[in-house]
Amino acid sequence: MYVRPELVSSSQLTIVKGGIVMSNAVADSGQKSHADEVKRLERREGWKRRLPILPALIFTIVVTQIPFLFTLFYSLTDWRLDKPEPREFIGVENYGSLPGDKFFRDAAWISVQMTVMAVLLSLIVGTLLAILLDRKFFGQGFVRTLLITPFLVMPVVAGFMWKTQMFGATFGILNWILNLFGFESIEFATKYPLASVVVVLVWQWSPFMMLIVLAGLQGQDTSVLEAARVDGATSFGIFRQITFPQLRPFLELGTLLGAIYLIQVYDHIEVIVGGQPGAKNLPFYIAQRSIGGGNRFGLASSYSIIVVIASIIIANIGLRVLSGLLEDDS
Amino acid sequence: MAEVRYEAASRIYPGSEIPAVNKLDLDISNGELLVLVGPSGSGKSTALRMLAGLETVNEGSIHINDVDVTLKPPQDRDIAMVFQNYALYPSMTVGENMGFALKQAKVPKEERAAQVREAARILDLEPYLDRKPKNLSGGQRQRVAMGRAIVRSPQVFLMDEPLSNLDAKLRVQTRTELADLQARLGTTMVYVTHDQVEAMTMGHRVAVLKDGILQQVASPRELYRRPKNRFVAGFIGSPAMNLLDVDRTDGQFRIAGTTIELTDEMKAAASAVEGTTFGVGVRPEHLKFTSDGSGMAGEVVVVEALGSESFLHVKVQHEGRDELLVVHEAGDTDFGRGDNVTIAVTGPVHVFAPDGDSV
Repeated sequence: MYVRPELVSSSQLTIVKGGIVMSNAVADSGQKSHADEVKRLERREGWKRRLPILPALIFTIVVTQIPFLFTLFYSLTDWRLDKPEPREFIGVENYGSLPGDKFFRDAAWISVQMTVMAVLLSLIVGTLLAILLDRKFFGQGFVRTLLITPFLVMPVVAGFMWKTQMFGATFGILNWILNLFGFESIEFATKYPLASVVVVLVWQWSPFMMLIVLAGLQGQDTSVLEAARVDGATSFGIFRQITFPQLRPFLELGTLLGAIYLIQVYDHIEVIVGGQPGAKNLPFYIAQRSIGGGNRFGLASSYSIIVVIASIIIANIGLRVLSGLLEDDS
Repeated sequence: MAEVRYEAASRIYPGSEIPAVNKLDLDISNGELLVLVGPSGSGKSTALRMLAGLETVNEGSIHINDVDVTLKPPQDRDIAMVFQNYALYPSMTVGENMGFALKQAKVPKEERAAQVREAARILDLEPYLDRKPKNLSGGQRQRVAMGRAIVRSPQVFLMDEPLSNLDAKLRVQTRTELADLQARLGTTMVYVTHDQVEAMTMGHRVAVLKDGILQQVASPRELYRRPKNRFVAGFIGSPAMNLLDVDRTDGQFRIAGTTIELTDEMKAAASAVEGTTFGVGVRPEHLKFTSDGSGMAGEVVVVEALGSESFLHVKVQHEGRDELLVVHEAGDTDFGRGDNVTIAVTGPVHVFAPDGDSV
């Protein structure tokens, strides 16, 4: 009889170590109190539940937590690749210099603007699309799939597509339309870098918001909507007074998930505006300062830590919202 | 206060050939509590929803107070509906739920609050006005749904199985309260249920539906005493009427070898009908055990002793096959499973022609 070491209590473990056959241990446990047996079974149940997630947990720790600890350590050094001096521990000096660093302040401000605009606009567009989709019509499934596709496009591909085929002065569709009406071509990506990036982000993220809001809309009890109709409410009145309050947790969830992802956008900026000023957010600036040629890994690490802390704060609020959502359902 | 009239009203769902409600003709008078009853799929809920304006009327028309409302949207019909799952607005408090319709009608705030308080007083909901529906028990939710309906003082109340989500005891209690409330308010009410006990106890008149077709509409007593066809006879009454297929031989009907005595009237009516296999029905309370060995011989299979009354299921040999007859006995019973008994008919017998219609 094989017993996994973690499943037996310490007293039993010594018996096993002492080489006494397990049948004795079983007989032993037979004399034990009922409570002990229940405790043993519960512990066993607990391990049955924990063990399967262990590999994933180890993997996550290896690829995220260990690099994070390294970054934390680097952020406390003056490590830079372009000088042959040894890495020196300088405490929180990097962080102290952040408030006075104009580049950091600009990048942080761009990050805030970009995230807020992209999240809010995609939420509005997504909600409108979801309302349109939340009714039966011929080809509904097909239209829904089409509407989701932008979300499935790789960020780099989306960036290139918009840069050349939409924004571009020579081949861009937007400029072609402008020319049709007699206007001059505009180099959108150069003239309005932040707006250009936000437009592409909204195009990619509206489908995501649409799916979340659609789930909320379709989870509605139809008889509640019918009751409101019988009670004399207009369609708009029903949306404002019944549907919208019920959608609130879904909108909050979309906002938070979107914000967590959009705060770390890099690909779109790299492809659409490159190193131009005006649309460099924190992640982009971090890359530029370190692997992108700046080579100041110590300083860049301190920026990363700031972004991580901001993300953790947002994620925590997000988790609270999510648990609220699940509670409401039960 | 209103009269409601269905005129050959039909509902055919898209993609279906058979109407869910088939040419329904029904007159409901002012202040009446009419119950629509039938098994699931009989079209009773659809008929109600047609009156509410939630289902399209494909043919025919519906009138409230002689006004044709067939094409009017629900909000223009001045009706209030209580749904099976109550359909309370989850994001609103009890008070807001009850005042919702008034708010839509742009009733001033103070007046609205007064009317909500009055309805809450009638339904004992005053302590709960600031609670959200999810913090209420099933019975309280049901009362809020009722309150939402009565606050509006509508022309007609529509009830779609409003008690089916309550537990048995509360259901019986609420049933009485609801009927009482309707009587006090004097508002016309159309009440849908699948429960024939609810139909019999609450309805001034009961309309029995099957497969979208109105079978009979009559007072509960009339339905019980003179069911128009075999379906109504089997559906109304608990436990159900004993209904057997009986072959007519020499103008006589025999159950388990015993000739059933018919009134002269029924004999005449039956002899005017062609065919051999008739349906013969006797209610359980119109059967009794004989002590002299006369009547139908059978064996007790199941005894349901309820204390105040008992129902005995008796197996008899009828035309070469086993049939079960349910016999009602007042109070307790002396018989047990396996006892051999003889049964006699003491009350009215119902005879149904081969096509199911009562003769």
